[in-house]
Amino acid sequence: MTNRKRVVITGMGVVTPLGHTVAEMFANLLEGKSGVGPITHFPASGFPTNFAAEIKNLDLGKYVSAPGRYDASGSNTHFALAAAQQALADAGLLGSGKFDRSRIGTYLGVGEGAEDFSSVLAACSLSVDATGYKVNQGEIIGHLSRLLHGPREAEGEMNTTAGHLADEFDLGGPNSTTLTACAASAQAIGEAAELIRHGDADVMVAGGTHSMISPFGVTGFNLLTALSTSGTAPKQASRPFDLNRDGFVLGEGSGMLILEELEHAKARGAAIYAEFTGYGTTGDAHAMTDPHPQGRGAIRAMRDALRNAGLQPHDIGYVNAHGTSTQANDEIETLALKTALGDAAYGIPVSSSKSMLGHLIAAGGAVELIISILAMRQGVLPPTINYDTLDPLCDLDYIPNCAREKPGIRHILSNSFGFGGQNIVLIASRY
Amino acid sequence: MPARRAVFTGLGLLTPIGSTPEAFWASLCAGTSGIRRIQRFDPSALRCPIAGEIPDFDPKAIITAAMKDTRKSLNKMAHTIRLGLCAAQLAMTDVGLQKGQIDPFRFGVEFGCVMAATDLEDLCKGAQTSCVGDPPEVDYTIWGRQGLKQVPPLWMLKYLPNMPACHVSILFDAQGPNNSITSTDTAGLLALGEAFRHLARDSADFFLVGGCDSKINPVAIARHSLFHDLVHDQPADPTTAIKPFDAARNGTVLGEGAAVLGLEELAFAQKRGAKILGELVGFASGFDKGRTGTGLAKVIQNALRDAKISPADVGHVNAAARGSRELDAWEARAIRDVFGDVPVFAPKGHLGNSGAASGLIELAASVLALQHGQLPGTLNYTTPDETCPVNVTTGDTQPIAKPYAVKLSVTDLGQCAAVVVKRWES
Repeated sequence: MTNRKRVVITGMGVVTPLGHTVAEMFANLLEGKSGVGPITHFPASGFPTNFAAEIKNLDLGKYVSAPGRYDASGSNTHFALAAAQQALADAGLLGSGKFDRSRIGTYLGVGEGAEDFSSVLAACSLSVDATGYKVNQGEIIGHLSRLLHGPREAEGEMNTTAGHLADEFDLGGPNSTTLTACAASAQAIGEAAELIRHGDADVMVAGGTHSMISPFGVTGFNLLTALSTSGTAPKQASRPFDLNRDGFVLGEGSGMLILEELEHAKARGAAIYAEFTGYGTTGDAHAMTDPHPQGRGAIRAMRDALRNAGLQPHDIGYVNAHGTSTQANDEIETLALKTALGDAAYGIPVSSSKSMLGHLIAAGGAVELIISILAMRQGVLPPTINYDTLDPLCDLDYIPNCAREKPGIRHILSNSFGFGGQNIVLIASRY
Repeated sequence: MPARRAVFTGLGLLTPIGSTPEAFWASLCAGTSGIRRIQRFDPSALRCPIAGEIPDFDPKAIITAAMKDTRKSLNKMAHTIRLGLCAAQLAMTDVGLQKGQIDPFRFGVEFGCVMAATDLEDLCKGAQTSCVGDPPEVDYTIWGRQGLKQVPPLWMLKYLPNMPACHVSILFDAQGPNNSITSTDTAGLLALGEAFRHLARDSADFFLVGGCDSKINPVAIARHSLFHDLVHDQPADPTTAIKPFDAARNGTVLGEGAAVLGLEELAFAQKRGAKILGELVGFASGFDKGRTGTGLAKVIQNALRDAKISPADVGHVNAAARGSRELDAWEARAIRDVFGDVPVFAPKGHLGNSGAASGLIELAASVLALQHGQLPGTLNYTTPDETCPVNVTTGDTQPIAKPYAVKLSVTDLGQCAAVVVKRWES
């Protein structure tokens, strides 16, 4: 433990509903702006929940020299290319042949969502058998073969985003992709840091990318009844920790960090944003959707991350909560924070960026770690907006509605919990 | 503190050529192919109507009535996810780890898996309600108002790639690290490598590491037929369709299956008297830009360095070769560069390409080969190809004496992973 390699963060990039640069996003967060509005990507007005925080006006040509190569790719790849280019440029690591590229890898949390759902539905409707309840499986293959677009389906394979990043930016090192639902990009960052600590790479482009604001994603989450249905005031729908919260709001985007071995960063004179110090990872082993009622996996993950960082609860100056705005998450996360951090919990400001950005699902953890690092560096904490009514079960300091100055923070903690029970906790520290 | 070593202590397999380690091994040695005309549905509309299909998978024979809650959950799992869960149950029986023998937080789960294609009956009614016009197109306003109500509420969760690891963790109360790697054909080896690192850094004592995948359903196979390099002009005999490294190779065939391995810290395994099947000693991954072979060779060398051995110590390479003209040649160049004339076995000739499941199913072949001291022949390899300058095994099994094997996985984009395994000698 004592002689493990140290990992620092030397670059960051984002594509979010509140800005396509780290600076723009953070400024909007400090102003308490919401990125939520009616869904415009497809005609969604018939869905029970038809609002989300969308990415608008992303120009891929600003980030890659031949954007046409990615015409068949989905949003996941487009967002990731843009965020990774920003992060690599920020770190001074853009450019083929610069440094040993076989020691620079990528580890991403990449969401699903590239399926051509419309064609699958159309093909289904053409292939119903005599019972009316089943599809003729042999027949539908012919319809699908005609309706689906080959290059687009190829891009729907889950390894394509990490493959394109490696190819576009010449990253010959470790190459991995995870999808542990809402924990994915945080998990990618934690495991990428471990690759560096072990000596498998000097630099990792780590983060996540996801859009579920598609017919597939909006269908899936509406069916799970996990989304807020407060459609009369979409910007107020995501209200983490508030008594009247009623579900999360979908967002989309990407966050990428450059994780780098400390000596490698120093040797090339890189600017250092923060040190990556703690990683905790557990499984709830409880249920497909609901978190464990006592938050046992979340508690253990926070404790493991603190131990991994060699810190005590009172060392933490800010918590960026998973804070989804669902009844279950916010209540149980609060309980888990109080159990894991003990008495210190009441003195640590906690906020949920999802109140403004919506839930970026597989990309959420990465964007939220970036926000936490900016908060630590700038000494000002982004708020939880739409916080009006106290929930007796959620009684921590959630930084309600207005950003708050808090200089001198030395360590931040960011939670990400996924459907399926994965709990990921990351800690970053002032370098 | 001495280094923490990782050993295999159990194996669960569901494959087109056998669903016990014994049956799987016997088929590999006998040259039995699992490729046949698809029987699960009428494949006539496919240009490549053959696949490596598991002939006898029955989840209820594995998830018995005594496992009440898990059995109830089976209807919330796509076929792919059932494969992963069932292989885990088979592996756990083989491992023999009992509840109470391990701290649940020291029990991790890692899977290689990708999003499964939707079951059509889930969408059938809603699609009829919501598709209008000729040719029909979905009207999302109708779909949102009415169609949605005709779809099962947990629909999306039936297909998510983290669900095998989720269900496995619930079944065995595994509360340690839990990850699901989705990098298609390299996913299984990446999951294994990550679990290996967890054990080494003392964040767990035991892992179930698995891979599961199936493309043998109408949506997945229609999709893959559009972009995957599947054989065309398939021969009258499907068992000869896939020809790794052979001069006459002309594409691959899709497969399905699952493999789950118990991976355990050595001292922990010895303390509980576990049976040890082999040792995992090296891992690396990377990206070979332009698939020149240089990047893949570097990944192999990194895995050998991780294992602290040299190429001359390796008795066989277990290749990813799937019968692709270009990818097989790419892989062969890298193997030749690193190893020269080492024997190379390519199990996809027997199995087809089972994607995220392929790495660990095929790795099982090498673990068994090291145990038996015998290496199977590569199926359908008859004519060497100068673009694939490697020593491909063929025909009957041949004896192997050296204790190390290297398993490779690659994707068509250039992602690669390598692991090094060692015969166990107590």
